[in-house]
Amino acid sequence: MSGRTAGQLGPVELEVILGTVRSAELEIEAAVERTSRSPMIRDQHDYRVALFDARGRKLTGRSYSALVEPVFEYFGDDEIDPGDVFFWNDPYNSSGGIGHVPDLCTTIPIFHGERLIGFSQVFGHHDDVGGSVPGSLPVHATDMWAEGLVVPPIKLYERGVVNSAAFKIIERNSRLPEHLKGDIDAEIGAARLGSKRVCELAERYGADALEAAFDAIIDNCAATLRRELLPKIADGVYHWQDYIENDGVDEPRLHALRLTMTKTPEKIILDFTGTDPEAKGPINWPIDYADGKFARKWMAPVLRSLADTPERAAEIDMNEGVLDVIEMKFPEKGTLVTPNFGKPTGMRFFILLRSLGVFAACLSKATGGRMPADHETIRIWGLHGGTTGSDFFLFREVLGGGGPGRPWADGSDVVHVVPNSRNLPAEFSETRYPVLIEKLALATDSCGAGLRRGGCGYDKQVRVLDDSMLLSNADRALLNTYGVNGGLHGATYGINVVDDQGAELPVAGMADNIPVTAGSVVHIVTTGGGGWGDPLEREAEWVRYDVECGLVSVEAAAAEYGVVVTNEGDAPVLDDSATNALRTKMRGQRDTPQFFDRGPYFEDIKRSNGVTWPDDWQDPDDHVVSAKAGGVHKAAS
Amino acid sequence: MSLRVAIDTGGTFTDVVAIDDVSGAHYAIKTPSTPSDPSIGLVEGLNKATKAAKLKSSDVGQLLHGSTVATNAVLEHKFDGLGLLVTEGFRHIIEIARQSVPDGYGNSFFWVKPKRLVPLHLVREVPGRMTFKGEEITPLDEDAVVKAVGALNDKGVRCVGVCLMHGYANDAHERRVGEIIAEHFPDLFVSLSSVVLPEYREYERAMTTLIDVMVKPYCQTYLQRAAAKVSSNGKGPSLLIMQSNGGVVSDQTAAERPVTMLLSGPAAGVLGAAHMAQLAGYEDILTLDVGGTSTDVSLIEKLTPHVTSHSLVENYPVKTPMLDIATVGTGGGSLAWVDDYGGLKVGPQSGGADPGPICYGRGGRQPAVTDAAVVLGRLPGALVGGEIVLDVDAARAAYQALGSRFDMSAEEAAAGVFEIAAANQVHGIRQVTVHRGRDPANYALIAFGGAGGMFAADVADFLDIAIVISPPDPGNLSAFGLHVSDIKRDYIRTLVRQRSVADTNEIDAAWRDIEDRGRDEIAAEGVAPDKVILTRSGDLRYVGEGHEIEVSVPPGTVGDDAVEFLWKDFHRVHHDTFGFQYEGEQDVELVNLRVQALGSIHRPKVAEIEKGTDAIPTGQRPVYWRGDGWSDCPIYNRPDLGAGSTLVGPAVVEEYGSTVVVPAGWSLTVDAFGNLILEKRS
Repeated sequence: MSGRTAGQLGPVELEVILGTVRSAELEIEAAVERTSRSPMIRDQHDYRVALFDARGRKLTGRSYSALVEPVFEYFGDDEIDPGDVFFWNDPYNSSGGIGHVPDLCTTIPIFHGERLIGFSQVFGHHDDVGGSVPGSLPVHATDMWAEGLVVPPIKLYERGVVNSAAFKIIERNSRLPEHLKGDIDAEIGAARLGSKRVCELAERYGADALEAAFDAIIDNCAATLRRELLPKIADGVYHWQDYIENDGVDEPRLHALRLTMTKTPEKIILDFTGTDPEAKGPINWPIDYADGKFARKWMAPVLRSLADTPERAAEIDMNEGVLDVIEMKFPEKGTLVTPNFGKPTGMRFFILLRSLGVFAACLSKATGGRMPADHETIRIWGLHGGTTGSDFFLFREVLGGGGPGRPWADGSDVVHVVPNSRNLPAEFSETRYPVLIEKLALATDSCGAGLRRGGCGYDKQVRVLDDSMLLSNADRALLNTYGVNGGLHGATYGINVVDDQGAELPVAGMADNIPVTAGSVVHIVTTGGGGWGDPLEREAEWVRYDVECGLVSVEAAAAEYGVVVTNEGDAPVLDDSATNALRTKMRGQRDTPQFFDRGPYFEDIKRSNGVTWPDDWQDPDDHVVSAKAGGVHKAAS
Repeated sequence: MSLRVAIDTGGTFTDVVAIDDVSGAHYAIKTPSTPSDPSIGLVEGLNKATKAAKLKSSDVGQLLHGSTVATNAVLEHKFDGLGLLVTEGFRHIIEIARQSVPDGYGNSFFWVKPKRLVPLHLVREVPGRMTFKGEEITPLDEDAVVKAVGALNDKGVRCVGVCLMHGYANDAHERRVGEIIAEHFPDLFVSLSSVVLPEYREYERAMTTLIDVMVKPYCQTYLQRAAAKVSSNGKGPSLLIMQSNGGVVSDQTAAERPVTMLLSGPAAGVLGAAHMAQLAGYEDILTLDVGGTSTDVSLIEKLTPHVTSHSLVENYPVKTPMLDIATVGTGGGSLAWVDDYGGLKVGPQSGGADPGPICYGRGGRQPAVTDAAVVLGRLPGALVGGEIVLDVDAARAAYQALGSRFDMSAEEAAAGVFEIAAANQVHGIRQVTVHRGRDPANYALIAFGGAGGMFAADVADFLDIAIVISPPDPGNLSAFGLHVSDIKRDYIRTLVRQRSVADTNEIDAAWRDIEDRGRDEIAAEGVAPDKVILTRSGDLRYVGEGHEIEVSVPPGTVGDDAVEFLWKDFHRVHHDTFGFQYEGEQDVELVNLRVQALGSIHRPKVAEIEKGTDAIPTGQRPVYWRGDGWSDCPIYNRPDLGAGSTLVGPAVVEEYGSTVVVPAGWSLTVDAFGNLILEKRS
């Protein structure tokens, strides 16, 4: 009945296959969320899914994924069979696809009869895989073995038969074995659902047509990049660097991630040569495997910001086709991105985000400043307390930060890089934990000033009702998010405790087990996004409105935007003539606007000659602000 | 007082189904909709119904009505004049929302946060604070309320949503705010979150409250006007309005909490589908309601339509219970086009009703799915009983042009567009079923709406579904569905209690409390109090889970038994929904208590049709099948088919307003009630 046009790939087959691959990706995601057990996966959505062709090329386009290469590396062609389930979490034996050990990766081959036609894969961040602390993310780890059980690529199922010895060992090494087992079962079930969809396509249209469609899907991605995005980037060589400020082990210092981007008419070459040495603490990221395939696919989506509109950006699928236009080069072993075997990697999400930031900054230099500024989107804070099992509680939140200012819009407020991640409602938190949420707001003046300002971070005040311990796990507590093309830096992350006597205790970004007494108020402010473009050019009325909404103070309106606003009655009033005068004065007094603005902590270090770069680089922050950067859209007010 | 009239207002047509309680006669009528004032079409429909039944308007005892007034207000973004009052410290509540960025990883770089329902300068804080137990920590500052509302009023706000912290646990502050506004600003529309949705999670409650107050002026104006028109001198039929939950209430009740009217239209179709499927002997069903611009799909299990409390309307969360209906952006009017990279696409753009497809000859220029059906011979040369003559040549020329870009003939291109359109509907059904862990292959597909029968077998083929049902008069199923509704209201109260420390008496008492309210309010709709059916349920989860699932208590189970049932059955439901459970291992947490109060109303008898003999085609025409090419296909006239008639595909069955396609490999049987049952032959 089906497969009436078997064998031939036409536009109809291609469209249905493309739509089914997209739909299957959503289906696999829904199945993961429905059946997995770790809150990190179910509620924080920290998992990724993908479909691949028989050569391990990624077909799905919503987000990055791990790789299939470890299957090929560890198993011969004659060792990949129907019913197999491949499994690993080893950061040093996953071709760079898995960054830290809590990410357990499940991969199943898809067969149409005897013919291998693809792979289906799910990996998720599990609650606990052993190691020195509950949650398997020790801040002070100095090697990989402290972070949990490490599994190199193995077969968890062989031709449908479970490898129960391996399963038992894995379960035995988790503090939450039931969760772990459930999560793995959920991943396998979801991956099988995806494989079923691919099989149905092969049934309907034939395996040859399916493979031809896969080629077309991948070619189409490369063609889209070449046609819509690459022409917007000027050919040339660009340098930039950004930093992790604290590795959790040594005293805070700058750990530099350095990138040289070479743009030719056909390609982008990303070279991490010059990156600082590997760290003692868990901020390393081993990606120098399989020609950097993982990191290339991870970083490529940054290019989408160059699409004509944000709506178009969201449509562009990022699959294996990106490898056609992005190459990657690495320094010798022993750097942050090429760590030696066994270095800890648990907090690698800081450098993961920095990699996007340095790529975006190089692109900003190469596009006359058309790229978004910087945003920092992952940090965890929490309280735990109680002594016995029954009164133990852990109140842990993943809070977003302000999005970047960009040519087409102000940054979005309190966003999180993980899609569909959610904050905790105040009414839920108060019901569950001994806290009273006294303020849940956007932080005034956290947004980096700009023609298009950054988004705001959180301003959260939590009264603690029982004696508790505080934890914080955050970068960008010292260094600001950067502003670009004349935009200013956004505010840093901050956390402090005010006790019931009014005494204030500042807390470091990376901290654990800080005692907090009942009655104290914990005050958390998360990062604001960097600003984009000259704040003195921002529509004065918009600045006034931001003041009315409590997002910008009267003082900052004057100091950063040159806008004079007076508070009279209910709403602030704009003083046009005073604003014009102030802006004229500020333009006259200031130096040339900086292309990048990294904020006071960085400037202090730079003034004391603490900022260095390779001998063959100029100061990577030197770049001329583009007066009329392409395509500023005047959004409706 | 023998005539009951059901009127479903759609975008293009207002559908009417009237049933004479005495004779059992059914009358189905269509009249043009009147979007600028839908009450005109409503009255016109009512008049046509009485005329058809040869009765007087005073003979109409009951008028059941599905309306799109609430939905349209939201779809048209009529958000001006909306203000919000919140607890001090929470002014940015709807700006922050849940910090979520939709879709892909890293979209936060370029994604632009959509404009909020209420701009920040129209959000005001008032001091006053409750705890989650409903204890007052800080008294309400009444002067601040007057000042805040006064400021909003000065800025042109006409509708005020009030959402105070833990208002669901103790509504004293919100009630007082309501009184103050009524006293000082009597012209303002107001909705209190403790009335609209007494459930915890402040952002979702605030949004639901805002949608409620936002649609209030439109719904109240419309319902008052409609009620006045259908009754003269205060005498007239009782007016019952369909709600999103699949139940009806009086027009006054609906106007008080109009957020419940958002799915007033599509909900009735699902009810009608469930009823006809039951008569046909099926209880697990997927509904496929194919309209001009989109297709609605929903899941019915054991004859009960699935209900959700997690709906998004225009991406705004609305947490009142609604039938779980998903919309796919492909319908009969969806357009075929070629993207910049040479890809062949179908929808989501649509020609709509005006100008409509090319074959309507009203100025449509881009080929629509309906044009493809004409090219393929699936549709006849004229529609709706010959009233609309179709321009087959123009449709064919358009597909010729489209096909030439891909080296395909006109019919190959048209069949391809049909295949893509069916696949798009398949993706929509997959998204509905996968969230429940269901395999569509285990369901019967019931297809309705004007174009449902044209697609159904193709969609079923993709999904391995073996049974397709086409109910009689599929274009009017929504209006029919109004006749098989009950008076129904839903009640919720948040009561977060962990099983290990819960007080059974407290839970039962809270349930009884909301049951009393339900009994009173359904009785107020004219149902005898002892005929009100109360159903208890609760939302539960394992401690530590981020979302809860609903567990229903069997009717008649009350007191300690009901609470015990909840604790126990939760594990089963959890396993059924998610595939695992932790009975005996993890503590369970109650989150919400729910009560559904129901008063059943008259059920019409669906007449059996006459027995038929062998189906005899009225003619034949060439029909093109993807892969198999053209074949001469028998055409049947649906009214000619009697109960028990059978035929085998390929065939096309036509009637006034709709067409059912039976591909090769499928057989068709007519059941006693006039349902066409298509069965895939293995």
